[in-house]
Amino acid sequence: MTWITRNWTMSGIIKGLIVTMKHMLRVGNRPTVTIQYPYQKMKVSPRFRGLHAVDENACIGCGICEVNCPNGTIQIVKYKTRWYPQVNIGMCLFCGLCVDVCPMNAMKMTGNYELADYSRESLVYGPDRLLFNKEVKQ
Amino acid sequence: MLFLAMWTGDIMFANAYELIVFILNFIGIYEPINNIFKTLGIEYILRIIIVFAEIAVLLVFALLTIMFLTWMERKVVAMVQARYGPMVTGPRGLLQPVMDGVKLIGKEDIIPAKADRWVFTLAPFLVFIPALLIFIPLPFGESLIISDLKVGLLYLIAISALSPIAILLAGWSSNNKYSLMGAMRAVAQDISYTIPLALSAIAIVLFTGSLSTVDIVTAQNGTWFGFIPKWFIFLQPLGFILFLIASIAEMGRIPFDFQESEQELVAGFFTEYSGIKFAMFFLAEYAHLFSVSAIVVTLFLGGWSFPYLSLLPAAVVPLISLGVFLVKTYAVIFFAMWLRHTVPRVRIDQLLNLGWKIMIPLALLNLLVTGFLLTIGVFQ
Amino acid sequence: MKTDELLINMGPVHPSTHGVLRFKLTMDGEIIRNCEIVMGYLHRGTEKLGEMKTYMQFVPYTDRLDYMSAFANNYAYVKAVEELAGIEVPLRAEYIRVLTLELNRIVNHLVMIGSLLLDLGASTMIMYGFRERENALALFDMLCGARMTFNYIKPGGVREDMPEGFIPKLNEFINDMDKRIDDYEQLVSGNEIFMGRMKGIGVMSAQDAINYGMTGPSLRGHGVNYDIRKLEPYSVYPDLDFKVCVRNECDSFARYMVRIDEMRESLHILRQVVDAMPPAKPASQAKYGIAPMTGAPTAVSTYFPRIFTPPPGEVYSRIEAPKGELGFYIVSDGTIKPYRIKIRSPSFCNLTAIPKMVEGLMIPDLIAAFGTIDVVLGDVDR
Repeated sequence: MTWITRNWTMSGIIKGLIVTMKHMLRVGNRPTVTIQYPYQKMKVSPRFRGLHAVDENACIGCGICEVNCPNGTIQIVKYKTRWYPQVNIGMCLFCGLCVDVCPMNAMKMTGNYELADYSRESLVYGPDRLLFNKEVKQ
Repeated sequence: MLFLAMWTGDIMFANAYELIVFILNFIGIYEPINNIFKTLGIEYILRIIIVFAEIAVLLVFALLTIMFLTWMERKVVAMVQARYGPMVTGPRGLLQPVMDGVKLIGKEDIIPAKADRWVFTLAPFLVFIPALLIFIPLPFGESLIISDLKVGLLYLIAISALSPIAILLAGWSSNNKYSLMGAMRAVAQDISYTIPLALSAIAIVLFTGSLSTVDIVTAQNGTWFGFIPKWFIFLQPLGFILFLIASIAEMGRIPFDFQESEQELVAGFFTEYSGIKFAMFFLAEYAHLFSVSAIVVTLFLGGWSFPYLSLLPAAVVPLISLGVFLVKTYAVIFFAMWLRHTVPRVRIDQLLNLGWKIMIPLALLNLLVTGFLLTIGVFQ
Repeated sequence: MKTDELLINMGPVHPSTHGVLRFKLTMDGEIIRNCEIVMGYLHRGTEKLGEMKTYMQFVPYTDRLDYMSAFANNYAYVKAVEELAGIEVPLRAEYIRVLTLELNRIVNHLVMIGSLLLDLGASTMIMYGFRERENALALFDMLCGARMTFNYIKPGGVREDMPEGFIPKLNEFINDMDKRIDDYEQLVSGNEIFMGRMKGIGVMSAQDAINYGMTGPSLRGHGVNYDIRKLEPYSVYPDLDFKVCVRNECDSFARYMVRIDEMRESLHILRQVVDAMPPAKPASQAKYGIAPMTGAPTAVSTYFPRIFTPPPGEVYSRIEAPKGELGFYIVSDGTIKPYRIKIRSPSFCNLTAIPKMVEGLMIPDLIAAFGTIDVVLGDVDR
């Protein structure tokens, strides 16, 4: 008829109460797992697919990434006498296909995931913001 | 001299008014002030001022309690769910209720175009005022009671039965199907649970022979065999369980939160409310939580009484007893919060079945057995 | 007294319709007399998009179908493409795929149980479910660099080999999960209120369930032993020892219990996969080249042709996704883009059974039955 007649002792509810009490007292490997985001940050893995980065010396501006991008995110633009990709983060799926297809291994994805911005224009990452110089860094 | 009498525990006041008068007397300023008013022929003004002071203290206490309870609820649920809860505003997020209040006051107060404007505006107040009125006959401690009504228990049950009317008004005037269904559910629930609530409370009255809350608490003073406190929970275990279930239903919390039932009816009867009106429903809910827990403590857990409390000097008894009362009340509140985040919601027909087919017969049986045992003199 | 039936529009914005689903309910008081499902609010034209993209480019879009179990979508599409083009996949890649699929099944069921309990009003279970899901997502992040939209399983293999230290973390997760599932069972399964809400609710005969096209755990709760992993074994499932979890009660509680049993079974499979994982070896050369299993971050271009044109033909391939049978029908005309893609999504077919299930029940029962069907609106509307 009703739920209470299924078990007069309510042992199931009492068991549940014990489980929640165990969590409340943090008994037996049940710690607080919250990460307080702006103050603490999660560690992302080395493979994390975040903002793109382009090796200034390796990139030949061939445009294979442009062709292979499913969303048409990438455009090859001229920058300092050479051609480099420009990524519109607002349209990007972060699928990593551009990294996979790059014949020179020039493109990679960094662990930077805080990409929110105030305008759509600033979401377009030109070569000036994407390029890094491998030789200088290493 | 009076102080000495109080120290030895001879004086106990009927209510907080007399306590205030006594304290003023003790400091020595009551007589001069009273004389001034007497010469002007308006000594009732002084009484009114004292009563207003009491009400102000009570109001501040109630609002602070409500604010604390919203914080406590969030912390308890966070602890159950392996989280931190509010942490940013104030130490451990203690000022979060203040920020919530500021946010809610700053919000736009929307009245739906097809709503019944007057009833829609009136309903939050009608919910909030009874929630505060319940505090009047609650014995917070020895001598700490606003008014020791002769019919205190009846008053409590009557006032808490007011809230379904206001909820129905809110649900009807919103002109929203979810609101209406939530209000109907709330009314059905409140009506069917007030009966076992009252019936199991009457079993207590059989013991005390008085409806006054102070009498009920003083009847629970003392111990059996020197260590078991004379609380009615030990005389009325079945009554206690029934009363607890009914009062959780009365509070409108999971597993019985049909007035809201968020996942089914969006937000139940306050779906359309926003801003300060929503805040009033919210405050009323937590005021209810506190007051109903306080009633549970008063009736079954000995109120402010505690074994061997009378051995303490009488001057500190009001304060200590207030502490005892609050600890017990918060224990009940904690249980309600703990239960809320453990169990799912029952279905409305299951709830009504439980109320009418199980709890009311059991409460009547409890009453019968209690009356029978009292008549043949088992408890003398 | 004249009474009227009440028409309630539940959704598309409602706390417990799991997204943008709309129920048109004809109510007699609290009783549902008629329930009509209105869907399509999340239609994104994924099937048409697939015809506009090359075979490789469409893989990230499959992530967005059923975003709770993106690996299964990846794999279902990739399996169809592989069958179309006759690609051989190295054994290690297949084992990694099965590993991700089963891990994904656990994640999906965790979310399902959590949201079911949330719909019933118990807010704690979803937090516990998400806590464990977070550990699994960290594993996914380690494996493929994304937490929900993986784009990991590719025609010919997987995107990258497992990183260092993945297997120990996985073992930790598996051992942890065993105790957690015991916790869930204690918290939820025995709860009298929960049983009162679930037992005998949303009952549907096995024949009806089959007629409505229900598949997956939802169907197995009706006593039908139907699991594509056993019926049409794919990948390395024939080598693994597992049983199909079936319950006979045909109600919401049975559908819920099948999920709990499947999580335990998936853990069992994961243990076997970890034990039987073949060692990494350099790429061997098959028809289209093979995914590099060395762990070196080599680009896919080194093994997969940039211009991939499978022979003309058509293929329908299906897998046992966490929610049911997920099938991809692909027609190829020999160009770089598929001529036609049709997705047979489990959520859509399972969802259509709801009106029959909830007739004569109440709104709370509708929510309970809907929760046990476990739909994701991205999968329903595609």
